[in-house]
Amino acid sequence: ETVLRVGSWLPPTHAQNAVVWPTWAKWVEEATEGRVKVEMEYGLGHPKTMFELVEDGAVDASFSYHGYVPGRFKLTQGVEQPLMGASAEAASVAHWRVHNKYFAKAQEHDGLEVLALFTHGPGQIHMANPINSLADLKSKKIRLGGGVQGELGKRMDVTAVGAPAPKVYEMMQQGVIDGVFIPMGEQKSLRLKEVAKHVVALPGGMYLGSFAMFISPDFMDGLSEKDREAIRSVSGEKLSAMAGAAWDAADKEGLEAALADGVSVNQVAEDGAMAQEFRDLVKGMDNEWVAHVADRKVDAKAALEELREIARSYGK
Amino acid sequence: MTTALIGFAILLLLIVVVRIPIAFSMGIVGFFGFAAVQGLTFDNIADFNWNSSLSMASKRIVDTAQEYSLSVIPLFILMGNLVTKSGLSQELYRASYAFLGHRKGGLSMATVVACGGFSAICGSSLATSATMAKVAMPPMRKYGYADSLATASIAAGGTLGILIPPSVILVIYGLLTETSIRELFAAGFIPGFLGILLYLAAVRWVVWRNPEAGPCGEKFTWKERLQALNGVWGVLILFTVVMGGIYLGIFTPTEAAGIGAGGAFVIALARRSLSFGSLFDILTDTARTSAMLFAVLIGALIFSNFINRAGLPADLLTFVSGLDVSPMMVIFAILLIYIVLGMVFESLSMLLLTVPIFFPLVQSLGFDLVWFGIVVVVVTEISLITPPVGMNVFVLSAVLPDVKASTIFKGVTPFWCADIFRLLLITLVAQISLFLPELLYR
Amino acid sequence: MAFSAWLTAHYEEKGPVRWLAFALELVAAVTLFLLMFLTCADVVGRYFFGNSVDGTTELTEIGIAILVFAEMPVITWRGGHVVVDILDKMWGSVALKVLGLLSAFLMSSAMYFLGVRIFELAERSLRRDEITELLEIPVGYIVQYIAVMSWATAALMITYGIYHQIIQNRD
Ligand code: NA
Ligand code: NA
Repeated sequence: ETVLRVGSWLPPTHAQNAVVWPTWAKWVEEATEGRVKVEMEYGLGHPKTMFELVEDGAVDASFSYHGYVPGRFKLTQGVEQPLMGASAEAASVAHWRVHNKYFAKAQEHDGLEVLALFTHGPGQIHMANPINSLADLKSKKIRLGGGVQGELGKRMDVTAVGAPAPKVYEMMQQGVIDGVFIPMGEQKSLRLKEVAKHVVALPGGMYLGSFAMFISPDFMDGLSEKDREAIRSVSGEKLSAMAGAAWDAADKEGLEAALADGVSVNQVAEDGAMAQEFRDLVKGMDNEWVAHVADRKVDAKAALEELREIARSYGK
Repeated sequence: MTTALIGFAILLLLIVVVRIPIAFSMGIVGFFGFAAVQGLTFDNIADFNWNSSLSMASKRIVDTAQEYSLSVIPLFILMGNLVTKSGLSQELYRASYAFLGHRKGGLSMATVVACGGFSAICGSSLATSATMAKVAMPPMRKYGYADSLATASIAAGGTLGILIPPSVILVIYGLLTETSIRELFAAGFIPGFLGILLYLAAVRWVVWRNPEAGPCGEKFTWKERLQALNGVWGVLILFTVVMGGIYLGIFTPTEAAGIGAGGAFVIALARRSLSFGSLFDILTDTARTSAMLFAVLIGALIFSNFINRAGLPADLLTFVSGLDVSPMMVIFAILLIYIVLGMVFESLSMLLLTVPIFFPLVQSLGFDLVWFGIVVVVVTEISLITPPVGMNVFVLSAVLPDVKASTIFKGVTPFWCADIFRLLLITLVAQISLFLPELLYR
Repeated sequence: MAFSAWLTAHYEEKGPVRWLAFALELVAAVTLFLLMFLTCADVVGRYFFGNSVDGTTELTEIGIAILVFAEMPVITWRGGHVVVDILDKMWGSVALKVLGLLSAFLMSSAMYFLGVRIFELAERSLRRDEITELLEIPVGYIVQYIAVMSWATAALMITYGIYHQIIQNRD
């Protein structure tokens, strides 16, 4: 029996740790007929460090957010571009397929074997005080994470405040920030429902966030061919879809928790004023990304089109 | 479990007997321990793949040295140094002395209260102890207080930082267990003030046993007292700016450190108490202290990677769940484990390693998670002053190189006892923690 | 000359090591001062001008690393790391000296080998073009700096640090 150590972060109660990893662990144990047993480990270090801890074999598998390592991961930002208009599950499946067809050869995940690619649910606007239009966000102090959020913040002319996600609660409570761009699930898991009482949910959200689950090639080499294939058979697209679906479900729970706690959630309609405002605001962002990744020597434009096409037609 | 226990034993040996600096003891044991769990034996030493352990340790060094939230350490220490250099802290203590100096141990009591106040805004026990050591130590020495009592009041007072809100530790506990953070903050108030009261009692006890430790001075007249108050405006303004800025949401507690240092710099300039030479001394002294503290933190993190990999937290859960005793006795077993672990762990890593393991069990026994959060934080505070590895004690020995760690540990014992008493109270009487959250939010 | 008198009065080190100590501490001091200034400018900018300093978080992170590792060689060779001295009375002075040498050897070895790995990690990071989010500063350079300062700590501890211990114990 081989132990496969998964290094994780985020609270143990988070969907990624309570649903995604345990489900995959069960799949792996079944597929290998119990020869590979998955164990979770927390507190290994900063999330961005997981890429290298797995590469160097300090832990066998893990997951991380691509935005934590700017410069190394540029192609993964394709899926994060605004106006995808799909659920995390659909986007995750598209992410996986397009990665293998177009992006894998650019070797951004050099040193790792990618198990799955997925995205969190659509990022929305969580504010302490209500806003009536996106123009109201001008000069508001907004906590921005990495990736496309920075560009969105620039275009909205907000005052950007940088901080790790667990700090958001404290900063909202004290008024250091007026709001945050983050998926709906965080109303529950970061307890934003206590401090961010006004949410604007744009149709399909503003952006997505790209994540990878990966495993050490050395660990895979140490397994028998049969077990290697067994692990691969329960990963890839199947795992990507499951992870995306779990994050979607977390968003749904977040929305329910927020509503139950009296948070006002403005669900903007497809033809609503703010939705139109947003579409105007992000015009050209995808082309900027295509230009930005020119040095990767892949057909990013075709990839993005295919990505959107797969995601939008997923499950239909 | 055996591997982890052997690791603990070797660590204690290296720290206490072989006298290797604590940062390096923890780092070295953590490194080889991690390698051992990864499969290192005496037979394969030559062809062992060291990269995994080396990367683990290297990453801890590289990431910790660039951790944004740790910027409070150098900046708050700088503030303390500037406040002292510009004579503000001496004036603050002259005023305290005018009011409290005729009481035995009066200045120690003032220090405990000041630490409680400062920790309330700062949120980090390490930064509180380091800052207050710079501010409080010189005047207490001047008035003839024993080093043991003076440093112990600071080390103990500094532990209040993680209980009185805002507190990073309580936020992280809330996120780990999905407990309401505002309820945790409300729950921390009364136990925090209880801590201050019990520390005051500990000071009384020390000076009752040994009046030399905190000698009493003459009684000042009210006129003299009011005159002494004249000098404290600078400090009051500085602390009001730092505290008010946080509560009004102008800046974060992390940024408050930089603002506090900047404000102290401006005050020192205004009072013409700085020259290039003295500014250089203050800056380098702060940098040296910070570097020592970072070294200890990094060592503690490397060691915790090993203990975690050796499976100690999971084994402890198995052990506690297997006990056939009443729910309250299970809690006491957990607390005992925390006190023992606290002997070598730094508070945040202890919380991250143990809370996810223990809280489902505590919840299933029907206990309130807000209450458990407060109990855990109090026991974590105790660990900060528990020998042989009490992080607050090391902060003081780093800040005050001429005071031995053994002196501080000796002085801290009565405060440690007061903490144990408080822990018992808070554990047995849940209302001490739950009264405010129930009143406000439930 | 006034400056060299000040230097002699301020630094217990001998010869060129005195200049080295001063240079390292100067780097640390300037960095710390800039850190303080940067935070203040960021907050003032955000609150009064609705515009914060871009990349304050990133610069702060880099600043702490520069500060801590500029001081690392100095505090290490001076024997400044925190030690638990509970048993000092029990040991004789010869035993304490031997333990001190053992510590110096272990600390140098640790810093040397970690420095090697950190340098490799830095090269890997540079090869992969890892940069900071806003200012796009290559992350690998700061990691290389940490590696070089770890080596400096190891080299100075095993030479000057031991010399310092021996003359200190003799006094
Ligand atoms: Na606090
Ligand atoms: Na401790």
